[in-house]
Amino acid sequence: MTNPTGNSHALDREHADQIFRRLAWLLGISVTSYFLLVPVLGLNIAFHFYMMLWITMASAFNVSSGFSGYMPFGFVAFYGVGAFTTAILVKKAGLSIVLALPASGLAGVLLSLLFAPTLRLSGIYFAIVSLALAGICRLTISNLPEELTGGSFGLQLGSRAEPLQAFYLMMGVMLIALATILWLSRSRLGKALRAVRDDAEAADMMGINVGWVRLKGWMIAAFFPALCGGVEAWYTNIVDTETAFNTLITAKTVIYAVAGGLGTVTGPVVGAIMMSWLDELIWRRFPLINLLILGVATMLLVLFLPRGIVGSLLRARPQWRRFIP
Amino acid sequence: MSGTIEVKELVKRFGGLTALDGVGFSAEPGQVLGIIGVNGAGKTTLMNCICGIYRPDSGSIRVAGVDVTGRSPHEIAHQGVGRTFQIPRVFGRMSLVDNLLVPVLDRKLPDRQLLEQAEAVLEQMRLIDLRHNHADELSGGQQKLLEMARMLMPDPKVVMLDEPFAGVHPQLCRFMIEQIESMRDGGKTVLLISHDLTSIYRLSNTVIAMNQGKVIASGGVADIRSNQQVIEAYLGD
Amino acid sequence: MSILILNGLVNGLIVGAIYAMLGLSLSLLYGVLRVVNFAHGELVIAGSFAAYVLFSVAGLPPLASAPIAAVCFFLFGWLAYYLLIPRLSRSDDPETMSFLLMYGLSITLAAAMLLAFGADSRSIDYEFNPVSLAIGPVYIATARLYALGVTIVITLMMGWFLFRTLPGKALRAAQMNREATQIVGVNIVRLSALAFAIASGIAGLTGVLIALVFPAFNPFSGAEYSIIGFIVIVLGGLGNPVGALIAGIFYGVAEQMASVFLPQALAQIVGFAILVGTILLRPTGLFGWRAMR
Repeated sequence: MTNPTGNSHALDREHADQIFRRLAWLLGISVTSYFLLVPVLGLNIAFHFYMMLWITMASAFNVSSGFSGYMPFGFVAFYGVGAFTTAILVKKAGLSIVLALPASGLAGVLLSLLFAPTLRLSGIYFAIVSLALAGICRLTISNLPEELTGGSFGLQLGSRAEPLQAFYLMMGVMLIALATILWLSRSRLGKALRAVRDDAEAADMMGINVGWVRLKGWMIAAFFPALCGGVEAWYTNIVDTETAFNTLITAKTVIYAVAGGLGTVTGPVVGAIMMSWLDELIWRRFPLINLLILGVATMLLVLFLPRGIVGSLLRARPQWRRFIP
Repeated sequence: MSGTIEVKELVKRFGGLTALDGVGFSAEPGQVLGIIGVNGAGKTTLMNCICGIYRPDSGSIRVAGVDVTGRSPHEIAHQGVGRTFQIPRVFGRMSLVDNLLVPVLDRKLPDRQLLEQAEAVLEQMRLIDLRHNHADELSGGQQKLLEMARMLMPDPKVVMLDEPFAGVHPQLCRFMIEQIESMRDGGKTVLLISHDLTSIYRLSNTVIAMNQGKVIASGGVADIRSNQQVIEAYLGD
Repeated sequence: MSILILNGLVNGLIVGAIYAMLGLSLSLLYGVLRVVNFAHGELVIAGSFAAYVLFSVAGLPPLASAPIAAVCFFLFGWLAYYLLIPRLSRSDDPETMSFLLMYGLSITLAAAMLLAFGADSRSIDYEFNPVSLAIGPVYIATARLYALGVTIVITLMMGWFLFRTLPGKALRAAQMNREATQIVGVNIVRLSALAFAIASGIAGLTGVLIALVFPAFNPFSGAEYSIIGFIVIVLGGLGNPVGALIAGIFYGVAEQMASVFLPQALAQIVGFAILVGTILLRPTGLFGWRAMR
């Protein structure tokens, strides 16, 4: 039985899917090749290492915020726990980074499970509690026995990580994160998450198991910052509570994600790359007012470009939404 | 048994207010049960109890022989109960197609089949050209149609419509009436809350009139129209 | 031991009074504007620095700087409102955007203070005469007693303002039902600006009091006070100024008593734990509103 309009819709769909897939591949390949070329062209490895870190952090935050509708202002908790888990496993248990890193990711997921009861809270309460929970994590780790977590001096991992190795490891983490988030944005879980974000009660009545869906999104969002903390710990060879739980980590993550635009995969990537460059250029020229510029930039972003770069573009051209990953 | 809904002695209190005071009725597949009454009579509360947003204090609700009293909304949805809302609750930042996919995300069917089904339903509701727009870009009337489309996707046995005609222009009303008739003729059990008496009289097989949390009359359209209590409480004259 | 406890109690009341001020101003902001001010702590510390500057440059005693700070911050708040908030309410996610805006403001203020004063801790070395007074068996620093006095005065003034004056009543009405207040003809924009200005004024004043009560402060102390402010308004119920006052005192006493019995670090954790516990177990706080999604 022929269905002319049905067929034309199907063609239309396939056409759109094709464009999407091409753009997604384009994104993946350009990101991969750019970063692969960094060591080859002798560009600054440290700068690009951190750029990849922020791309991953901002993307993971997007899963929680853009996709699920939660703003965890204590996001750094996962990062810090990941950093310390890696440090302890590498230093105390003598594990290689290849084993320690997935364990750190797992630690992040376990922490997210511990924090899961907060998911039923509304925006403001959730944000505030998240901040408090991060504070509890930091204080608890500071107060653990010194033999375990190094007290106020922190832990030295003692593994001689070559910067290049850490660079490639970070790249691996970033690519896995981007692939996961790309999958999520098109998957049924992703749709369920967005429905719950828009109207949880209505989603419930449409047959979505709200609690379970939220939890899955939350665990995914927690996994990657934990990995980032772990890789960074290995790269710098030291962790301590001040740097691993620094509120600036959450601040940059949030700002970079918002600058690019929440809700798409490309948004946080664009935001992180752009803001990293901005940060680098300003740091070189005006090292003292770096923080001030970050704060003012945030305010200007919120006031004048609240949807970020990609978000504003899609606002102006809504028909492109189906094509842009 | 399939699609029959039976409500017995349903009670729901909010603090000191008794919103439902022993409500009971039943409705069969292929039938429309109209529900009328003044604002605050308990009509929406009744629907909210049936679909699981509120947990009744006592009484029972059975759909197709299964007791769904007090179960969670998503479980009840899986029993084949669908609904629309007085003020549309669409997923604003998702496309129309995605809105329609939400109730069927757990179906073990390939994506392409679900997409085809969604497009077919959107076609039926004359929303097909807007299918990629975000739901919050639609007008109020279009959102009501979207809700109806979304409700129909999982092919529910029981459909509950809460004031579908409120604030909708006459042409769209007529279209909605056609849709409701085809739901009824397709073997669904339809519960319809409305103040639009013309539509109620035209569509309903049975009508129940509610007042202050109780069912004050139940019967065919003619019986209800001539029922003295109903006239005093609601219809006026 | 009982002296320690009594000491803890009295200091708890004083510290609690400060926390009550924090809660009062935050709650005013949230109640009327639905804005969660992440920058509140930094605003307060800016008040402390203002008192510090006035003292080191002009030799003004902190009690004299208090009203000056209040007025300056009031004006700042008025200006800041008109610059920042109207754009926010026109966006499609004002709640999220207001978090982010205030987040940005908190970073900006902390950075500005860092630039101006450096990272070192500061304190105001103003000697009261006598340095401390005996209240029964315990000695309390005079500075702290003055601070307590000021908070009592401010609380009474705010009480009078909110319950006896027309703008005050309008503010309370707006806290209860923003839309309805607009409908009856109140200029909600001007009212909101007023709320913002008053809240800033109290914040600046609280900063001066903090300089009197606590040993030292630095540009990063703000974060700590923001969190305390949040704990207080959550305990007291978001948007409820009276609840905030009571919760502030309760929290101050709890904190001081905890530090009598527990080591410092644990006492800090207790604070956070109270917040988390309250939100999860009794999200509406002692007298508050909807907390759940």
